[in-house]
Amino acid sequence: MNCNIKYNKSSSNCWMSTLIIFSILLFNSSCKKLVETGPQSTSVNADNVYTNDATAAAVLNGIYTTMSQEAFSDFTGPTAVPLYTGLSSDELTLYSGVYDPRFRAYYLNALQANNAGFEFWNSAYPIIYDANAAIEGLAASNALTSAVKQQLTGEAKMVRAFFYFYLVNLYGDVPLVLNTNYKANATLARTPKAMVYKQIISDLQDAVSTLSTTYVGADALTATTERTRPTKWAAAALLARVYLFYGNLSGDASNYVNAEQQATSIINNSAGYNLVTDLNGVFLANSNEAIWQLQPVIANINTQDAQVFILPETGPSSSTANPVYLSNYLLNSFENGDLRKVDWVSSIKVSDTTYFYPSKYKIKTVGAPLTEYLMMLRLGEQFLIRAEARVQQSNLSGAQSDLNAIRARAGLANTTANDRQSLLAAILRERRVELFTEWGHRWLDLKRTGTVGTVMSVVTPQKGGTWNISAQLYPLPLTDLRSDPALVQNPGY
Amino acid sequence: MYDLYKHVVWHSQPYKKILLVMKLTTLLLLVGILQVSASALAQKVTLHVRNAQLLDVLQQIRVQTGYDFAYTGKDLGATKPVTIDVKNDELADVLQRVFDGQPLDYAINNKAIVVSVKQPSLLDKVKAAQDPDKMDVHGKVVGEDGLSLPGAIVMIKGTGNSRATDSKGEFTLKNVVPGSIIVISFIGYTRQEITVSGEMGTIILKPAENPLDEVEVIAYGQTSERLSTANTSSVTSKVIGEQPVSNPLLALEGRVPGLFITQSSGLSGTSVTVRIQGQNSMGNGNDPLYVVDGTPYTSQLLPGVGNILGIGSAGMNGVATYGSPFSYINPDDIERIDVLKGADATAIYGSRAANGAILITTKKGKAGETRVDLNIQNGWAQVTRQLPLLNTQEYLQMRHEAIANDGSTVQPTDYDINGLWDTTRNTNWEKQLIGGTAQYRDINASVSGGSTGTQYLVSIGDHRQTTVFPGNFADEKISGHFNITSASSNQKFHITFSGSYLADDNRLPSTYLTHAAITLAPDAPPLYNKDGSLNWAPAASGSSSWTNPLAGLYDTYQSVGYNLIANSVISYKLLPNLEFKSSFGYTNLNENETSETPLISTAPELRSTAVNYASYTYKNLGSWIIEPQVLYNTKIGKGALEALAGMTIQQDQSRVNAVNGSNYTSDALLGNVGAAAVITPGTNLVSDYKYNALFGRLNYNLEDKYILNLTARKDGSSRFGADNEFHEFGSVGGAWVFSNEAFFSNHIKFISFGKLRASYGTTGNDQIGDYQFLSLYTPTTAGNPYQGARGLLPGNLSNPYLQWEETKKLEFGLDFGLFKDRVLLSSNYYNNRSSNQLLFQNLPVITGFGSVVVNLPATVENSGWEFNISSTNIKAKDFSWTTGFNITVPQNKLVSFPGLSGSTYANQYVIGQSLSVQRLYHFQGVDPATGVYKVSSTTDPFNPAYPDDATSLVNTFPEFYGGFQNAIHYHQFELDFLFQFTKQKGPNYAFGFVPGTFNTNQPIYVLSRWQKPGDITTIQRYNADYGLVGQYFNATGSDAAYSDASYIRLKNVSLSWQFPEELIHSVHLKTCRINLQAQNLLTITKYKGLDPENESPYALPPLRMITAGIQAGF
Repeated sequence: MNCNIKYNKSSSNCWMSTLIIFSILLFNSSCKKLVETGPQSTSVNADNVYTNDATAAAVLNGIYTTMSQEAFSDFTGPTAVPLYTGLSSDELTLYSGVYDPRFRAYYLNALQANNAGFEFWNSAYPIIYDANAAIEGLAASNALTSAVKQQLTGEAKMVRAFFYFYLVNLYGDVPLVLNTNYKANATLARTPKAMVYKQIISDLQDAVSTLSTTYVGADALTATTERTRPTKWAAAALLARVYLFYGNLSGDASNYVNAEQQATSIINNSAGYNLVTDLNGVFLANSNEAIWQLQPVIANINTQDAQVFILPETGPSSSTANPVYLSNYLLNSFENGDLRKVDWVSSIKVSDTTYFYPSKYKIKTVGAPLTEYLMMLRLGEQFLIRAEARVQQSNLSGAQSDLNAIRARAGLANTTANDRQSLLAAILRERRVELFTEWGHRWLDLKRTGTVGTVMSVVTPQKGGTWNISAQLYPLPLTDLRSDPALVQNPGY
Repeated sequence: MYDLYKHVVWHSQPYKKILLVMKLTTLLLLVGILQVSASALAQKVTLHVRNAQLLDVLQQIRVQTGYDFAYTGKDLGATKPVTIDVKNDELADVLQRVFDGQPLDYAINNKAIVVSVKQPSLLDKVKAAQDPDKMDVHGKVVGEDGLSLPGAIVMIKGTGNSRATDSKGEFTLKNVVPGSIIVISFIGYTRQEITVSGEMGTIILKPAENPLDEVEVIAYGQTSERLSTANTSSVTSKVIGEQPVSNPLLALEGRVPGLFITQSSGLSGTSVTVRIQGQNSMGNGNDPLYVVDGTPYTSQLLPGVGNILGIGSAGMNGVATYGSPFSYINPDDIERIDVLKGADATAIYGSRAANGAILITTKKGKAGETRVDLNIQNGWAQVTRQLPLLNTQEYLQMRHEAIANDGSTVQPTDYDINGLWDTTRNTNWEKQLIGGTAQYRDINASVSGGSTGTQYLVSIGDHRQTTVFPGNFADEKISGHFNITSASSNQKFHITFSGSYLADDNRLPSTYLTHAAITLAPDAPPLYNKDGSLNWAPAASGSSSWTNPLAGLYDTYQSVGYNLIANSVISYKLLPNLEFKSSFGYTNLNENETSETPLISTAPELRSTAVNYASYTYKNLGSWIIEPQVLYNTKIGKGALEALAGMTIQQDQSRVNAVNGSNYTSDALLGNVGAAAVITPGTNLVSDYKYNALFGRLNYNLEDKYILNLTARKDGSSRFGADNEFHEFGSVGGAWVFSNEAFFSNHIKFISFGKLRASYGTTGNDQIGDYQFLSLYTPTTAGNPYQGARGLLPGNLSNPYLQWEETKKLEFGLDFGLFKDRVLLSSNYYNNRSSNQLLFQNLPVITGFGSVVVNLPATVENSGWEFNISSTNIKAKDFSWTTGFNITVPQNKLVSFPGLSGSTYANQYVIGQSLSVQRLYHFQGVDPATGVYKVSSTTDPFNPAYPDDATSLVNTFPEFYGGFQNAIHYHQFELDFLFQFTKQKGPNYAFGFVPGTFNTNQPIYVLSRWQKPGDITTIQRYNADYGLVGQYFNATGSDAAYSDASYIRLKNVSLSWQFPEELIHSVHLKTCRINLQAQNLLTITKYKGLDPENESPYALPPLRMITAGIQAGF
């Protein structure tokens, strides 16, 4: 305690210098270390994703998960397209008690940019980003098994094409984003529809040539009976549809040749695909008609379509749970004896009013085992695509035979249409009753065939709205218009 | 052990004087621990004397102990009177205190105490012989608690000759002219002037009464307002204690210039937006740096499963959060809160202090007798304002008129008017749903005390607050706080340790009922059926005709949190002017949240297809920090130099682990995730933040007149890419205390204090998420993994070039004390420019994500004036009145933004305008012909184009804000009250909520709607079928949807009455007072909406709280 002053001083000086030197050494040797964090244990650094087959395959798996899971309550996800386009067209009737302004705006063809219409845009582009990231990451990687790399690249292009197909049909010209460079993409303008179609066709051609001919599992390699990842046939099926649409748009008849060719390749693959004779079996998981399905991923439920469309005993609800039922326009377009009206339409009677609803998907029970998958592409559509492509190439008998294949399954007699005009009309009507509430076919068909104006100018006033031809395109989201000055809103919004 | 014993035995022999003056505290402590009785020292003495003669005191000691005193009458002639109050204290201890400052020495010799005149040392004698006219002066400076005050400045008046006291608080001045006056000053104490004598004994400094001399806590040290070069403000425990708030930040509202605070809702635990001198960052990270006892504390809670505590934030760029981390700190444990603003105060915190810093200091024990304090508050709270709404008659008329306007008829689903609902009902839903009274209870108890060597404080608290909602919801907190401070007997080694622990259990509904309360139809059905079950008022179809608002109360949210804050400071003085010090801090904030959605909250007809579900989150935020420091002070010329150098090593780890369960067999099992049929992963996050810095400060003080302060910091943070990890920050601050100039002190007498100060410096901002520079893929979390495997997706857009955001702060201040410092004026001008903006750049979703963190070449300027006036209007023995007034006139401006027009912000910001500017349509009223809202448009006034037609700019940044407080003390009464005021514009509720539609009641403002062609009005015609909803949204997106949201609020009133001393002593209390306190008692505003502070029609408005309480000390 009573130390010698001199001793105390010298010792403290010594301590001091030691401490200072120690601090400096500590800082200089480890300051880098002190601010560098190790790899995060809850995520994977992008650089490491495409270095092995499993993580690379998981990216596509993630994309399908997102596509399948976006909850209905967010007004996005797979159900959004049939629901909203069904309201916009003449397929669905909005229950009078629904006061959500968004539903009413779709129903009355009175969308406003600050209100609704942008839901699909907002959910499609993030998935396109994921696909672009996968395409870039896969291309740059040398570490993957070549079969896996090829399959995943094809899948990513298939996904990208699928979403651009819907974007261009719902919004018209859309920005064509093909990479992950957000700086450049943030100021993109809209690309003309024809250019977007060309990109879709190019992606799908690549996919047809690279994708596996058999279904593969989560590792993108092992064969499986689950039809939940795209194959060469899925790419061909979408490509057939895209050629048909692009033929309508461009007037270039060569597209119909291509459409027929792609559809034929699938129809001829009878080992893989057949029309399911029992209509109640068409939408089951891995049915023979399924070319590509999405496995439901939300806990406790099968498809979201069943949740939304199947009406409870109390009928439609004013909430967003069950806001719609089938319109009389659709119901009246079924011919007598059409088995599809028996098997794919159900009804519920609530105090003297009978409501009809789509029942292609039948499992609404919560917690039931997964027996129904969401149909993305199916063989039935391919017959109708080929029929239409054949009419366009003046192969009327070929068209009739394809059309009759679909009619026969529905328990209907052969078509009586026998000239170009009447056959095209018959095919359009057949598409209406075959493909109703599936991925917005009715709305898209009305628009591509140029009949949307004549049909809706009658229907919309009966729904309580006013038809304006600008309503055939949905508005772009205001948020994107604000943040991308190069974007221009669709006319009428 | 042997050594210790030897020490004790050693004392039973006759000794030299030095042994007695050795630090008896240490020995007494040892005696206590070892239970060894040393007869000479074991004598206990009890004395209560005031200004007594030394002789009398010694006589009393003799009687009590049996010791004899040997002294001569002459020796005791020059003694000083003795004041001492001890009970059963050791004789040696008592002797030391009795002889402290006496010109006498004493020695214990067997059973006798020999008292003799103090002899000057040999050296002194020699010196005195050499220069008989001058003398050497020696003394010791202590505080009121008897603790020595090392570092106090002892200056010989008029010479500039000064010296600091050593580690024992002692000083020696050589060759002092007899008759000189010395001035002794120390931060936080009243300066004292004394005429010199050779041995001045112990000089006791009193705590500062002049606010200029009170301690101000600053970064890595302390100062006083008198000597500070910086702009800081403080709020002390007294003020905090007068306010019944559960979040200490709320106690600052209206009291600190430059500090703008908004409470997001009236629920306990709710988030609080804090902005110091405006909004520096355009995108993210405008929170100040919070430091609790030297340890940085989080400004945001981790994301969880409930957001009821975070939504509704308005005001200055409020962002949704998950509640306030400060609801995990007991306000009663806080001694003071210091708010640091300018560069000089904050630059030493480097990259984290661009938005200022808030330093919280917890209570510490004080030497003296053991003291027990008890504080109990009990109170009641209600919402401050009700929105006037349509009554049933007006509502029904609106509905019928709306349907008639639409050319429609009453539909089967128009339950409110088609006969299903009883239209004679008139329910005040505001009263039913948010009109309840919340109970408030706050109990705190503390024990503190200690000797001059060691002090301690232990406190516990219990806080409970219910909600205004119907139902059984409450927030209950239990907390403990502990502090021990100890010094070695030579005062060279100090250690202090503090720990706080708080356990919080907050149970709330998942959503506010506020919006339901203001929109439910007044004729909506009763909440309950006759059998007590929830009434869903089913229509003939079986469908529920409404969503019973109470169903929402079954959807519950519970947050259970545990917060540990521990810190320790160890210091060692190697030399009188060189100190090594290190602080160690650890915080661990644990939260468990549960959100339950039982089937019973679903409409009965939907239950068959619905599932019950629940979410659980475990959140943990752990942080440790070590800050070694070296402090050195010396004299250079006539001035004093203080130098500080230090280093920070900090690491944080955040963990969020969320799990969702669904399909439970029973609602009763929702708390048990194991009972869920389906379990899916939720958010999972493990995130590390590492931070490392070197810092230093030089402070040069020339005769308390000219003060220069330099700070520097080199910072490294893991949030940035490899090339940008490190950066330097620094500041220079200066002050000129011109009142210390002879000219002033001699000629301008009414100015008792005057100081001019200026500072300039740089600070940074790294408040972005971790790992933003990395591109990361995160797993998907679906209920049924796709093909049985988990997916992996890009989680963000990455930017490897991220840098610091930098704020350059410039500040000028002019401080005055008038009329002997009875009036204190402080004015401050600040100009802070933030550049290289680090923010979430909004991106179009076509890029894949809505945003990316970038550095944008934009500059934001916050400038403004802050004024603070405090005055002691009356100061008498039984009556005093002080007034304080502060006002801040802020300005926020986007100075430059190269490339704004081509950027993603083109439509959001305007150069030259505030960041809070809103781009809106210009409202044109209602078209008299059609009765529909019109806005200015170049194309269609009913369907304007955004953004081209959104040309009206409204600035929601406050124009000015401040507070006006008074404290009146009259005999036993004390009254304090604070008015808080803000002048601002904000979003209103003038257009109601889509008037005319089913089951949506409206504010009475809509009664002035258009009814027939020719009507000139501002409310469009009622509309039931949503046909005019687009125009309704045009109006709510127009400048008419923003209006004056200014208010003056009687924020706090505290009235207390102190029991008279006689009464208190008769029941053995030291102090006792009863009080009435109120928060948000009165609000004066023209705001059209619920509350002008949170400006939300969804969140619960801040509550009016009234409490009664008692504080007792014994």
